[in-house]
Amino acid sequence: MEEIIFGIGITALAGALATVAGAAEDVESDIGSQGDPNSQVQLAPQMGYIHRIFNKAIAGEPPAYGLWVALGAGLAWAFMAMQINPILAIVLGSALAVFVQGVYATTAYLGRTASLAKFGQPVYIDILKSMTTVTMAHAFVAIFATVAMCHLIISALGHPFPLPLLGLVWGIALGAAGSATGNPFYGKERQYQEQKFGAGVPISASGNIVRYAEAGQRNSLDNGFFSAKLGGPASGICFGLIVFFELWRTVVFEEFNIWGPIIVGVVVILVFAIIDRYIEVWARKNFGPYTAPEEASS
Amino acid sequence: MSVKIEVGAGGIPHNQILIYGLVGSVILIYLTYLNTYMQAPYFAFFGGLAAVVALIWGTDTIKHLCSYGLGTGVPSAGMIALGSGVIAALFGATTGPFAPIVTVIVAAIIGAVAGLMANAVVRMDIPVMVVSLIELAIVGAITVLGLAAMACGTFEFLGMITGQISFFGFTITSYETSLIGGSIIAVIFMLGAIAIQHSFNACLGPGEQQDRTLMLAAECGFLSMIVVAIMSFAFIDRYAAIITLVIAIIGWLYTYKKYIELSKRDAYAWLDAQPILEPKGGA
Amino acid sequence: MSALGGPKQAGGIQPPTAMGLVLGIVLIIIALILAFFLVQMAGLIALIGIIIGGVLIGFGVHFVPVGGAPAAMGQAPGIATGVAMLAAGAGLAGLFGGAWAAPLGFAVALAGGAIGGGLLMAITCTMVNVIYVFGMGIPAASGKVDKDPITGDSFPEYKSQGTEGHGLPFISWVGGVIGGALGGLGGTLIYLELLDVYQAQLPVILNATVEQIAPIAISLAGIFAVAMFLINAVLAAYNITGTIEGPHDPKFKRFPRAIIAAAVASAVAGIFAIGLLELVGVF
Repeated sequence: MEEIIFGIGITALAGALATVAGAAEDVESDIGSQGDPNSQVQLAPQMGYIHRIFNKAIAGEPPAYGLWVALGAGLAWAFMAMQINPILAIVLGSALAVFVQGVYATTAYLGRTASLAKFGQPVYIDILKSMTTVTMAHAFVAIFATVAMCHLIISALGHPFPLPLLGLVWGIALGAAGSATGNPFYGKERQYQEQKFGAGVPISASGNIVRYAEAGQRNSLDNGFFSAKLGGPASGICFGLIVFFELWRTVVFEEFNIWGPIIVGVVVILVFAIIDRYIEVWARKNFGPYTAPEEASS
Repeated sequence: MSVKIEVGAGGIPHNQILIYGLVGSVILIYLTYLNTYMQAPYFAFFGGLAAVVALIWGTDTIKHLCSYGLGTGVPSAGMIALGSGVIAALFGATTGPFAPIVTVIVAAIIGAVAGLMANAVVRMDIPVMVVSLIELAIVGAITVLGLAAMACGTFEFLGMITGQISFFGFTITSYETSLIGGSIIAVIFMLGAIAIQHSFNACLGPGEQQDRTLMLAAECGFLSMIVVAIMSFAFIDRYAAIITLVIAIIGWLYTYKKYIELSKRDAYAWLDAQPILEPKGGA
Repeated sequence: MSALGGPKQAGGIQPPTAMGLVLGIVLIIIALILAFFLVQMAGLIALIGIIIGGVLIGFGVHFVPVGGAPAAMGQAPGIATGVAMLAAGAGLAGLFGGAWAAPLGFAVALAGGAIGGGLLMAITCTMVNVIYVFGMGIPAASGKVDKDPITGDSFPEYKSQGTEGHGLPFISWVGGVIGGALGGLGGTLIYLELLDVYQAQLPVILNATVEQIAPIAISLAGIFAVAMFLINAVLAAYNITGTIEGPHDPKFKRFPRAIIAAAVASAVAGIFAIGLLELVGVF
């Protein structure tokens, strides 16, 4: 019984760390403009819309975060193997991983923008200097929280994987969850803020991202502050719930019956199905159709 | 409306880079064998240099493949390269002194099968698909083998699975604190997967120039070398690791500086704290 | 990572070429014979397990709703991430759960892997809908069908003008969960088969107990599972050409090609993984 209570405590801590990591990951990828919304940042100059947004093209969030977290975990593991205190090891490992991330971010911005010279997009050095450190800071929070979570899962809950491999697994999952949840909010709501609310962006408007902001010219820090209001926390909750349910059902129910976690998992999936269906029906009922049903079947 | 992949023309022909890349990286990996010869891991850094050469070659291969219309984007090519490569590298490592040669052959087999499946079964029908996936698998395998050899001092399997931990001054061999036991091979895998596709992905656009792209590939290679050198402190003698780290840092600083110069050369304008330069005639 | 360019597709689905099919079958048979030759019955069962695992991964990727870059703007339904890596995220989360339950038995571990992957996708898909509905005010609508096959909701009038649909209709949600579950199941199956093989062979070769070599066996099995997951997911992504709405999408009917490609690629990669330890100590 004590084991279960200890396990639940660790699970709660891991869930909290995962929530922070998810939120930081999403805000970081929105400040750096990584992943699918970045294709619009790339497209805009080709359509004649010059901008001052950071264009961080590093392969998309799941593999990129797979690398940063695995790197942070690997360095932390190496430091721990050299008998350095675990907390210091994780901090140092995350810091070095963030250095790598920052370098990749700068080379991505310079490379993509220099290759767009034909369309007249200049390289803005002040954007490079100011955004890079901010993305690095958010990435540090995300990486540190995830590596710490992995370390807890291994040393306190007894998972067989070594730390770097677990870092790889959760890094890719973090990137996938954060990217899926946060990208539409940043892409549609912030990049295309001038389009009508409540509808998708029509294909004819592609590339016409918002470049002149509330006061002055928009840069990526403005995007970060916006997505930190909903996109970031939503991604955090998404990843936090994933980690929490994954750990909780094993820690609590495995003692009673080895099939316990499976059954609880199925029940949780069904609960989420009901929630999702409710949201979908709520939207249809409260938002209503865009056009009357008979006219729209073209 | 989405981004079109365009490739700049000109530069060194791909086949030339292929030959230099293949021969150069295999020779450099074999130079790490001097460690076993001299019973001291001071030559481990050759493995990292082999990975850098392989990454330069691989970047040009991805560029070559994408110029023929690879539809679904650049990062997946990196994933499939390293996925095949890590299997080949670990298999090849078990053959002792023949590891680099066997790794190249096995990687070629796996890459060929993946390419044939992609072209003939999934019907991607890209002319250079099979050759490019063979090259990419070999590049991935050499990158993994080279960085692994740099981290633990040898490219042989038995060396990768045994490490040492010290207990109150006594050192005992342990399987847990080894390159494979501690799963550092997973970090090397992911480093290679991002590095191999980053240079072409980051320099994508109508103004892509081969020398800038390849300089970025070298920079990614040296950056990966820096972090693996730091991790190698847990596996090899401290002074050997310091040598590797210093070489990696020097290489990285040089390639990074040159990359920034080349970007300055190619950019439309290099502005500091200037407003948006609307194109003539408006948007 | 959206669908860009690519070779010209003739109308309809192009079936695999005869050469591709014959080559694939020949390779699978050769791999099975080699597995039996090298590790006897255990090896044969392991390779069959790996092939089934690879097929499940390749098949599962087709269920996951991915919209790519247009989905990030509310122009297409699905999740706004690359298909191979989203499936990898789900599959690896499943592998996490499956590896944890490995000591409890084969069936429990497999079920744990499947549920882990399905749970990640369930939560992610629900949060995607939360963002679309509560953050952007956009209801879910599919662009490829007029009525949802499961719930009967009609879509044309809920599609905003100028777009091809947006959000995650219920069929896409269910597809995502199924895809995640199959991916987790396949990845865990590959991991468990390789773990069995290595835990049987390593103690004999290294003259150690099963507990001592456990980190190496787990690490090797884990990295090979990740590598084979990525190879199969990328081949399936090539099959889908970047975006798919879910099981109701006409592109879904292409899945037999991916199953064959995944089976062959898994067989060839698997034989090298199973035969990994055969040459240790020989040279």
